[in-house]
Amino acid sequence: MDIKIGLDLGSTAIKMVVVEGDQIIGRRVAPTSPGQDALAQKLIDGALAELGRKPAEIRGVASTGYGKKLFTGAGMNIDEISANALGLFRLSGGQARTIINIGGQDLKVLNLSEAGKITDFRMNDKCAAGTGRFFELVARLLDTPLERFGELSRAGAPDLELNNTCVVFAESEIVSLLARGESRETIIRGLHGSVARRVAGMVHHQLPDDGAVYLDGGPANNPGLKAALEDELMVEVKVLAEPQFTVAYGAALALS
Amino acid sequence: MTMTASPNPADSRRSRLLGKVGQKDQSLHQQQIDQLRSRADFTPELDYFLQVMENPWPAAVSERTGRPLAAILCLQAPLELFQAFGWQPFKIYSGSYVTGRLAANDLPAIMCPMLRSALGAMQLQSGFLSSFRAWVLPTTCDWVVKFTEMMKISAGLAIEETSLHRLELPHLKDQDDSRERWLEEIYKLKKFLEKMTGRVLKPGKLREALETYQRAYAVLSRLTELRRQGAVPAVWFTSIANSFFYDTAENWTAAVARALPAFEGRPRPGAGGRVFLAGSPIFFPNFKLLELMEEAGLTVVADDLCSSERLFPGAVNISDHSEFGLLSALAERYHQGCLCPTFADNDRRVNNIINPAKREYFEGVVFQVLKGCHPYDLESFSLAGPLQAEGLKFLRLETDYTAEDSQNLLTRLEAYRHHLEA
Ligand code: SF4
Repeated sequence: MDIKIGLDLGSTAIKMVVVEGDQIIGRRVAPTSPGQDALAQKLIDGALAELGRKPAEIRGVASTGYGKKLFTGAGMNIDEISANALGLFRLSGGQARTIINIGGQDLKVLNLSEAGKITDFRMNDKCAAGTGRFFELVARLLDTPLERFGELSRAGAPDLELNNTCVVFAESEIVSLLARGESRETIIRGLHGSVARRVAGMVHHQLPDDGAVYLDGGPANNPGLKAALEDELMVEVKVLAEPQFTVAYGAALALS
Repeated sequence: MTMTASPNPADSRRSRLLGKVGQKDQSLHQQQIDQLRSRADFTPELDYFLQVMENPWPAAVSERTGRPLAAILCLQAPLELFQAFGWQPFKIYSGSYVTGRLAANDLPAIMCPMLRSALGAMQLQSGFLSSFRAWVLPTTCDWVVKFTEMMKISAGLAIEETSLHRLELPHLKDQDDSRERWLEEIYKLKKFLEKMTGRVLKPGKLREALETYQRAYAVLSRLTELRRQGAVPAVWFTSIANSFFYDTAENWTAAVARALPAFEGRPRPGAGGRVFLAGSPIFFPNFKLLELMEEAGLTVVADDLCSSERLFPGAVNISDHSEFGLLSALAERYHQGCLCPTFADNDRRVNNIINPAKREYFEGVVFQVLKGCHPYDLESFSLAGPLQAEGLKFLRLETDYTAEDSQNLLTRLEAYRHHLEA
């Protein structure tokens, strides 16, 4: 069977999926760096080699994300909002009605119809508050790998409210919290809460009564953030396996 | 022995900054002009508008028009009245993100980017204040109301009270006493202009002025009709509208009339992606949003921006040729016809968009908010619901004059283009 390639050239990482039928049979990720064209090609070549497939079997390549036009091997480009809707709707088995996507420098909220069509969407403007970049900065500041944020936040005290999601101000706020003796766990928990409040500001009045809410994008791997969002939105928030590949998958689906 | 005073270091830093910003601003204008000239849809008839915008400074406009200039801060000041006195109204505006740097201090961090930019641009012009014989400031939004104060504080430009006239706008439309008060205001403006020009308003001259503007409105209306068919790209429509204040109404009208055939013969784009553009104004050279919309496959077929389709509130109907009759008709048109969000009773803004005569031409509404432009910011929320209820897909974008959010905006516009098809 022919295969399709979906590439999501984001601001912090390039994600690639190999799709056969509508199944993801291979996936790869690399941090974004100069020379995205070659980098994306390397991801494809590596995945094909691992799968024992040949370039001639590729029926189409679609790219999405900020760098979508930088990959010269793509036969089609699609915006990441539409790709996100396509990918997650299919992966959720048609259940998703609201998608919260947290990307490297974006926050997006999408509403979908029963048929998976976008009925409304919102995206942050140029401020990086609450995005993947923001989490990276805090991880550096606390000298703690992002992968541990979920587990650590569970041990944090619940009542610390961080006021700033602005990358610049959050930095000084966190420094003064550390100086005050607040634990890393409590700060991380407070941080999740502040991001969740920002997301809720974009979601609230458009959260449908029925239908599931899904979280995707790289930071969706953080269970602490999922818990904070559930607390803030007062609904269950679902996260599928490998949530950072949803958009790349949607791009591949757009080829059919 | 003679002593030469060494230059004050602050003064020399200031003049270096002015030089740097001036140069950057000039190249920004030139880049945008060159970009417009190199477009595939550029035709020689459009060059007039680019030439005019190449030199939009008051001294050049005064020379071009041969008329004394009156600065106006907003379109609420009836343009025909200046024309009747033989003066050229010159709207203060700027679309340059570079000049805003000169007005960074002593001002709120978040303010109207358009006026911040204008505050900077005026500092680049030596003798800027003396280019104008009068200033007319309609009390529309707060930024406009406070503008002359900001000029003094941030640019050191103090307008003499005697040459400044504040036109007090009643913010309610649908009340008889508001209309009466507005008419009184128009009479006060007339008196002010009589004092400043040393002339008495002649009804004949006013009628001629109204007729001149009727002709200007007629060519703009024809251009607007073509725009509804998708035949006038937004960058051209905006260039044409923006250049209005840089030449006489007569010359501008003739130039638009010359440009019309070029648009009439133009192939219409295919259906899909046709939108109404609402919100804060767009001024040259900041065509960022218009270009991104084009890149995303969206065609603007209508707008309600005070920088383009709302350039004129409509043609003034002349039935009573007395001074009172003419001034009343003028006042009525400017008050009732204006769709500015600074009015308190403003259902007409929604109705103007869902008006069946327009509604058939587009599928959605893109609403631009300039960060710091509070009237449109507020209104973006109150318009969204009623427009969505009409089946129009609504996209709110908040931006400023810088280019750094272009990618973010493009992503949203592309998704919106998809969304329109869904
Ligand atoms: S209405 Fe908006 S764009 Fe116009 S002057 Fe006021 S703040 Fe500026």
